[in-house]
Amino acid sequence: MSAEVVQRPLPRLRLRWSRGAGLFLCALGALAVCVLSLRIGSLDVSTADSLAAIFDYDAGSYEQTVVRSLRVPRTLIGVAVGAALAVAGGTMQAATRNPLAGPSILGVSAGASFAIVTAIYFGQLTEPMQYVWFAFAGGLATSALVYGIGTAGAGGASPVKLALAGVIVSALLTSWTSALLLLDRETLDAVRFWSAGSLAGRDLQVLWTALPFLIVGTTGALLMSHQLNVLSLGDDAARALGMHTGRVRGVAAVLVVLMTGAAVAAAGPIGFVGLAVPHIVRVVVGPDYRWVLPYSVFVGVMLLLGADILGRILMRPSEIQVGIVTAAVGAPFLIWIARQRRVADV
Amino acid sequence: MAASIDAAAPRPPRLRTLRLGAVSLRIDLRVLLLIAVAAAGTFALACWAMTLGSFPIAVVDVVRSVLGQGSDEYDFVVRTLRLPRVLSAVLAGALLALSGAVFQGLVRNALVSPDIIGINAGASLFAVFWILTLRSSALLPVAAFVGAVLAAVLVYVLTWKGGVSGNRLILVGIGVNAMCAAATTFLIVRFPIDDVSRAVLWTTGSVYASSWGDVALLGAGLAVLLPAGAVLMWAMRVLQLGDQTARSLGQAVERTRLTLMLVGCGLSAVAISIVGPIGFVAFMLPHVARMVAGPMSGGVFVFTAMLGGAYLLAADVVAQHALPVSLPVGVVTSALGAPYFLFLLWRTNARL
Amino acid sequence: MTTTVLAAPTESRLQSEAVTLAYGDATVARDLSVRIPDGRVTSIIGPNGCGKSTLLRALVRLLRPRGGTVYLDGQAIHRLGTKEVARRLGLLSQQSPLPEAITVEDLVRRGRFPHQSFLQPPSDRDHEAVERALALAGVEDLRDRPVDELSGGQRQRAWIAMTLAQETPILLLDEPTTFLDVAHQQEVFDLVRRLNREEGRTVVLVLHEVNDAARVSDHIVAMRDGAIVAEGVPEDVVNPEQLLTIFGVPCDVMCDPATAARTCIPRGCLLQPHITSARAGGVLRTSDLSSGYGDRRVVQGVNVDIAPGRITAIVGANACGKSTLLKTLARLLPITQGEALLDGRSVLEGRHRELACRLAMLGQGAVAPAGVTVEELVAAGRYPYQRWWRQWSPEDEAAVTRSLEATGLGALRHRQVETLSGGQRQRVWIAMTLAQDTPVMLLDEPTTFLDIAHQVEVLDLIADLNRREGRTIVMVLHDLAQAARYADEIVAMKDGEVIASGPPAEVITVDLVRTVFGIDCRVTPDPLTQRPVVLPALD
Repeated sequence: MSAEVVQRPLPRLRLRWSRGAGLFLCALGALAVCVLSLRIGSLDVSTADSLAAIFDYDAGSYEQTVVRSLRVPRTLIGVAVGAALAVAGGTMQAATRNPLAGPSILGVSAGASFAIVTAIYFGQLTEPMQYVWFAFAGGLATSALVYGIGTAGAGGASPVKLALAGVIVSALLTSWTSALLLLDRETLDAVRFWSAGSLAGRDLQVLWTALPFLIVGTTGALLMSHQLNVLSLGDDAARALGMHTGRVRGVAAVLVVLMTGAAVAAAGPIGFVGLAVPHIVRVVVGPDYRWVLPYSVFVGVMLLLGADILGRILMRPSEIQVGIVTAAVGAPFLIWIARQRRVADV
Repeated sequence: MAASIDAAAPRPPRLRTLRLGAVSLRIDLRVLLLIAVAAAGTFALACWAMTLGSFPIAVVDVVRSVLGQGSDEYDFVVRTLRLPRVLSAVLAGALLALSGAVFQGLVRNALVSPDIIGINAGASLFAVFWILTLRSSALLPVAAFVGAVLAAVLVYVLTWKGGVSGNRLILVGIGVNAMCAAATTFLIVRFPIDDVSRAVLWTTGSVYASSWGDVALLGAGLAVLLPAGAVLMWAMRVLQLGDQTARSLGQAVERTRLTLMLVGCGLSAVAISIVGPIGFVAFMLPHVARMVAGPMSGGVFVFTAMLGGAYLLAADVVAQHALPVSLPVGVVTSALGAPYFLFLLWRTNARL
Repeated sequence: MTTTVLAAPTESRLQSEAVTLAYGDATVARDLSVRIPDGRVTSIIGPNGCGKSTLLRALVRLLRPRGGTVYLDGQAIHRLGTKEVARRLGLLSQQSPLPEAITVEDLVRRGRFPHQSFLQPPSDRDHEAVERALALAGVEDLRDRPVDELSGGQRQRAWIAMTLAQETPILLLDEPTTFLDVAHQQEVFDLVRRLNREEGRTVVLVLHEVNDAARVSDHIVAMRDGAIVAEGVPEDVVNPEQLLTIFGVPCDVMCDPATAARTCIPRGCLLQPHITSARAGGVLRTSDLSSGYGDRRVVQGVNVDIAPGRITAIVGANACGKSTLLKTLARLLPITQGEALLDGRSVLEGRHRELACRLAMLGQGAVAPAGVTVEELVAAGRYPYQRWWRQWSPEDEAAVTRSLEATGLGALRHRQVETLSGGQRQRVWIAMTLAQDTPVMLLDEPTTFLDIAHQVEVLDLIADLNRREGRTIVMVLHDLAQAARYADEIVAMKDGEVIASGPPAEVITVDLVRTVFGIDCRVTPDPLTQRPVVLPALD
């Protein structure tokens, strides 16, 4: 017995070390996916050329020009958006104590889309940079509405109530959005690619506008992981441990809206990344958010860029928008979660 | 309406038993009265709706034309243009409301309707595919029906885990809904803008430009499915008590549920294939019917059909005439239905 | 365990002054003044909805009182910082579901939150506290196991360990023993007493079971309808007059001569002897019956003969297969081996409807759909006799009227089921089963979630039906005391097998209780009815 007690710390240490090593591997994996994203497309480029386009640009090379002007922005946006959506999803799941929470389920994406389409229709908005502010406003209002309705009543928040509220608000906003689009063909044409969710053809300017928000949101969420751990024990337990649950939730909500609003503005509504990534990560590293969130950063990048690359390959030479690919991959994932016993019972 | 909501007050029902040899039916006189009132209301609304438009016609002339004794100038407008539209709104509304009643009872959850659990999205996906690839409306109902049934089967199979739990069905349904929606978006992005705007119009739902053929299809669907559903309500009353209780009362639960699901799919697919996925009618009207007439039964089922018809007709009138631009009716129904749904969800306490 | 060893309480670090509590507009409790004696175990008891959990929430500042003040160490508690309070008070609330795969050690570490600050790594101090808490609660060996894989008692101990890691002098536990069976309850109470006796911690428990409170606590606070109706040492509170005020049920109190522990025995109407002979039919027996869920076999090789026209109670610890056996008899689960015979025919023979005319079953936790009235629900019991084209016959009418009368629901027949109290609601479900008009009735835990008064109400009704109509009744009960009081025959199960069956006086023995429930106890006859009374031994 005493020998066992002495040996106790070892497995813990090894676990911590192996989690650290895993994180490093994930970072390497994300980097590799970035390189692939520079290489693959309707025109395949060699690794040497794609790296040269960044570090040693030769304006004469057609390949390098393609990489520099099209794929570098696309990859950068993919990295920023993938990381932010995944961390936002993890934060939401912890703060709402709801395995189904995610930017698309809570209607943030639909709210942001609606705000942007409205702005384009009424305000003759042409600069994608201005999208950001409308995306924030729409996302914030919608998520507040959905969360308010989903948690009202004596039962508190249940996964099903929250998901239903999100779906209905999304349906309502989508129906208004499509009414606006029917009234005005130009808006439809301007928006239909954006509203499918895509990394392609985006202006780097948009990324620069959104980037500060993405960074602030993601860093803030990573710093909050200890609080999120305690919050996941339940409201009463967390408050009995001396936590201001309302304050922590409020901060988490603001961070989530920063991340998703900026992500939607930069890449359009991309569903299910935020829902799926934290679940995948939890299977590997367990429920500790101090590990879940950092892992989510890299796995989010891998998943989103991976989906984007898949969309480029599947129907060559044309492309499938990444939002469609993630939804097609992510919706079965939602069904899988729903089939886990605990969720439906809650 | 408000008088009957008083929850705690004892309200002796006016039940009469109708006996004919071996047949005995239980009939609630109040519900019978409500059905009559709703039918009269729908008729009046329909007549008024046909007077409206760029070519106003007096009510008397409308009624005369409908009865086949009008003048030729009115006959064309009323019988060829307005009557089919009004009739398809009424019939489609009835079908949609009934499908909602069936699904809500089936899942024992008042917050479910075919538009949430992916049935409508499945139908839309197939219909959009049909419109975009074949560019013809022929056989569109069949495509939509196939889509609806496939989606329903998919939801049911994926929910199955030694039984079907209501909450799991909702979540799986949301997932199937998302998949179908993603595929529909894919189609919309892939095809040229000319075809796309037609498809987008269809997916919002509209009774615009209905023909007598549409009315015949809707009417045939309702004629078959309404009696079937009304009969099934007798078994559903017991299914509502929960699987275990229903089974110990001697009900073959899975068989009942499968039959109900087929009828529900049929109701929703027939309506969707003609008028497109008009949202929230299926969700909202069964609630209103139950609020006015009490728990679902064969009689209340018929009443729900009446209300559904009247509601969709009213929504179409609003969509067509209330605003300077005429909107598809689906926009109006979701603008009214979604807030009501959210209100209900907000009021629902620990039940979910 | 006598309380005389301890000096009378002089100090109280935690107390409430004239506290009024409300959720929204609904006032739950008014003008409560409680002093929690230091270094003692205090229990707060009372019927469902009396405000006992609400009071506890106010004491730990989870709920801010509408009026009055809660004082901790002489200071108003809501003026103290949240972490400051959390370093002095540890609360175990009624559990909420945990994220999957969280291990016991993860859980316990999170109890250190009030001692940590933003971005500060865990110190050696934290590590020691976690180790100590794990050791104290006896969950060291479970540290790497996910909490959701543990048994009920182990899980409860893991949560208590988390509260212990907070290192607070005062512990408050909200219903720590609900959903546990007797052995696990014992486990938790032993831990509570150890913490109090060896560590000198002040413990406050909210309990719904009087007998537990009488056994473990030094001080009892009894509440009813949001007010304190009795307070003092167990001897003062657990006596017939006080119990009548608290729960509204006449009770006798038995005192265990060896330990001085008090046990309350609620008195319903006295059981009449059987006059009517059993109805024709209703002979239920099984031979070598096995069944289960999917591949998992829960009931194994059961042979029982149910006495016709009598009340049989099936007892056993949680998950011993008692409800499964009942469901198998009612054909709700497939039989994997052996057979179950009703009047000589297998229950699997024929259509479901036919069986439903001969055997009725009331499951657990049935919920009536919204808006359904009492009469409509009871009428649903006639379903097996009806078709959609034959919806209502004179026999249906007669059966519904009869069962409404028998259950005393005549006056409530047009009320909606949701507006009734828990006891009334359970009566409606029994009336529905009664309207099925079958010689055999199976009832699965008809008294769970009801407080004492309603339990007595429901069991009296069942006994009365049995006596007057001669129906064979088989019920699953988790409370051995109720089974002993009401059943003519007892079937004791363990691990899916029947261990003993026969009349209560023969079956309920010290050895049997130890085998079936895993606790030590004494068994003495009730002076009034001569039925056995089980007095659990402590420590």
